[in-house]
Amino acid sequence: MATNSAAGSSGRIWVVEEGERRSPGIIHVVMMALFIGIGIVVGTLGSLAIPIGFVSAFWPGQAVQAVGSIWFGAWGVIAGMFFPFISNAMSGSAPIPVSAAYLPANFIQGFLAVAAFKLLKGDPRLLTARDWTIWVVFGVLVANFVGAFWGTYVLSWFGLITDQARIPALLGWTFGNSIPSLIFGSILLKYVTPMVIRSKAFVKGWWA
Amino acid sequence: MARSEFAKKTLLGIVPADSPFYAFHPVTRLAFLFVLSVTPMFIDRPEINLAIIAMTFGLFWWGRVRMSDLKKYRLLLVTVALFMFIVAYLAPGDKAQLTPVRLVGLTLYWEPMRWAFVSYVRLMAMLFGAILYFSTNRERDVLVGLRTLRLPFQVSYVAGLSLRSAGMFMEDFATIREAEQARALDLDALSLREKVKLYTMYTVPLFAVALRRADEISAALYARGYTLSGRPGTGGKRTDYLRDKSVLRVRDWVVSFGLLGTFVVIAIVSRTTGVFSIQASPLIGFVEQLLGIG
Amino acid sequence: MNAIELSGVTWRYEHAKEPALVDVDLAIPEGEFVLVIGPNEAGKTTLVSAIKGLIPNSITGVLKGDVLVFGERVESIKPPVLAKQIGFVFADPESQFTALTVEEEIVFGLENVGWPRETIGKRVEWAARITGVEDLLDKPPYDISGGQKQRVAIASVIAMQPRILILDEPTAMIDPLGKDLVVRICAELKNDHDMTIVVVEHNIEAFAPLADKVVMVNEGRVERVAPPREIFRDLDYLLARDVHPPQVSQVFGRLRERGLYRGELPLSDEEGFASWRTLPEGAAR
Repeated sequence: MATNSAAGSSGRIWVVEEGERRSPGIIHVVMMALFIGIGIVVGTLGSLAIPIGFVSAFWPGQAVQAVGSIWFGAWGVIAGMFFPFISNAMSGSAPIPVSAAYLPANFIQGFLAVAAFKLLKGDPRLLTARDWTIWVVFGVLVANFVGAFWGTYVLSWFGLITDQARIPALLGWTFGNSIPSLIFGSILLKYVTPMVIRSKAFVKGWWA
Repeated sequence: MARSEFAKKTLLGIVPADSPFYAFHPVTRLAFLFVLSVTPMFIDRPEINLAIIAMTFGLFWWGRVRMSDLKKYRLLLVTVALFMFIVAYLAPGDKAQLTPVRLVGLTLYWEPMRWAFVSYVRLMAMLFGAILYFSTNRERDVLVGLRTLRLPFQVSYVAGLSLRSAGMFMEDFATIREAEQARALDLDALSLREKVKLYTMYTVPLFAVALRRADEISAALYARGYTLSGRPGTGGKRTDYLRDKSVLRVRDWVVSFGLLGTFVVIAIVSRTTGVFSIQASPLIGFVEQLLGIG
Repeated sequence: MNAIELSGVTWRYEHAKEPALVDVDLAIPEGEFVLVIGPNEAGKTTLVSAIKGLIPNSITGVLKGDVLVFGERVESIKPPVLAKQIGFVFADPESQFTALTVEEEIVFGLENVGWPRETIGKRVEWAARITGVEDLLDKPPYDISGGQKQRVAIASVIAMQPRILILDEPTAMIDPLGKDLVVRICAELKNDHDMTIVVVEHNIEAFAPLADKVVMVNEGRVERVAPPREIFRDLDYLLARDVHPPQVSQVFGRLRERGLYRGELPLSDEEGFASWRTLPEGAAR
């Protein structure tokens, strides 16, 4: 029964109710800044815990990118794009030019998750099997695959891996990052989303 | 007196309480960051990048950075090197076109190994440039530097708030960990699965705290008259008091232009001549001779 | 002229069932020092948040009635203009810090309001001197003691020299020495700068002698508004609501019950000593 009613509510979370006024405000800017801060902490600690440098594997930062984008729309996407600059520098994972080249991947890793949830009307509280599928397929696997595709291209472009190593690096990166994204991201969506959607910072559209 | 007694903790790490770097305007220090972390991209010759690393370490010393604080990067240096050389060994490329070398019972291919070495040295040169910057600049210096480059106030303000919130979350994280340890939690005794679970459970309250803080901070910003546009109540241009307090002196102009000029020259020479190429490297040539290649 | 005027104000927070403020009418003339007291969860912070316009501009919920600041509806005043009219010091000083150094923290509001560089410099100097934070300007605001944080929070607000200053439990999170300093700052602002000051405080003892008027809030309603001597005369009423008047007032209240004292209840230790001398011999026993 619970599942049925939940299925019925899936996707309605994104609908702006009649009379509901939503506009970008200071709270969104603040939340973006706080999320960059969280990303710096999570990203740096993740990189220092498993210090394999510029190659991303078992990096929990992707979960922050995806979940932040789902909760806070474009503000979360922007936060996810920029926090790796600082976390990479602090952990010594990647120099600034490499971090800059990762920018499109960081954009994709957040954007794909939120776009999938909004377009496919998934509920970020992960109430139904459908919500889980959207999350795992787009928020975790596809997002990490596309991010890794770009990331490994950047690495070979900078000469940090050989061209022949791109495929194994791509697979290692995709699945290596998917594990923490899946565990960490799922827990955040499941347990923190109910709090987030009650807050003023939650974004139903793209900016508010 | 030991250097450590003069260190100051910042959100980004530890900086010396006093350093010759502080005599320079923050924007000049940004020029240091830019040049040190981007120049190696134009240089393949490892001995030049090694010289840049040596120079960076000289700057660490000159800047009175506590060298023991750099120890945390040791493991990273080793793992990155291992990763790069293992990748070059396992996935060398088209073997028919490569030069095999027998070394300690293994068949390696010289070109990918050489490239891994060259790239590793370059990467380290770039990384230590960034580490030097964060070891000699407080968050305020970063912001003043960015604002001097006319970055919009809102952007630099978000950057400052982000750094501040990173510090807050690190403190929260440390508090939660201390509380766990006070309750006799032995991290070493935990399995990897348990550690992952624990790490995740640490972070859920951090997110909950973030939501509360977002409300508090936005209320505080409203209370002090901040608007989304960042424009002042008078409608004119916003005064940037801190930026205006830092004055660019002659030495800042000289050093900044000197650094950027050097960078431009290196970039042009790199693109137009082979001076910085691997082929011009005596070090690589020496190793090739040693291995009987070429 | 009234600096603050509330008429028929009722406020319910989003997701709450009961209103936090119920039909509040209150007028505070310019230049008065007002102490807001009441038990926990009485609605004191909600009341001052409504005066500052945080309700409904920054906090969501349902508002009825009018809040006027110098005759203008608070909702319609732009934040930078309102910041010049009303300064607000939050209960947790750290929650209001958004900058990386104390100096930047103080400067932030001044830049928002739109002051030129020279004025900002003078205001920073003035606010830092009054609050005694001159030596902290270069330090991060999160890396100083609790008392220092509170003084920085006050400095960052009074630097704007608002016509109305609201302090929400300014001594709740600090040590006794820090509390004395905050009280001293408030006294200086009242005496030398003619600000309208509204203080929400449980530590009634320290602020009662400064107050021109006390506002008693209970269960979302303003139950009494009167000069402190009048409010603290009714000890039973206050104690029944878990509000503790100054110790010295309570002591003399008991003496009055026993018929040993007939004068006004003292509010401060100094007044207590003076009243003590008027007691009949043997009353202390």
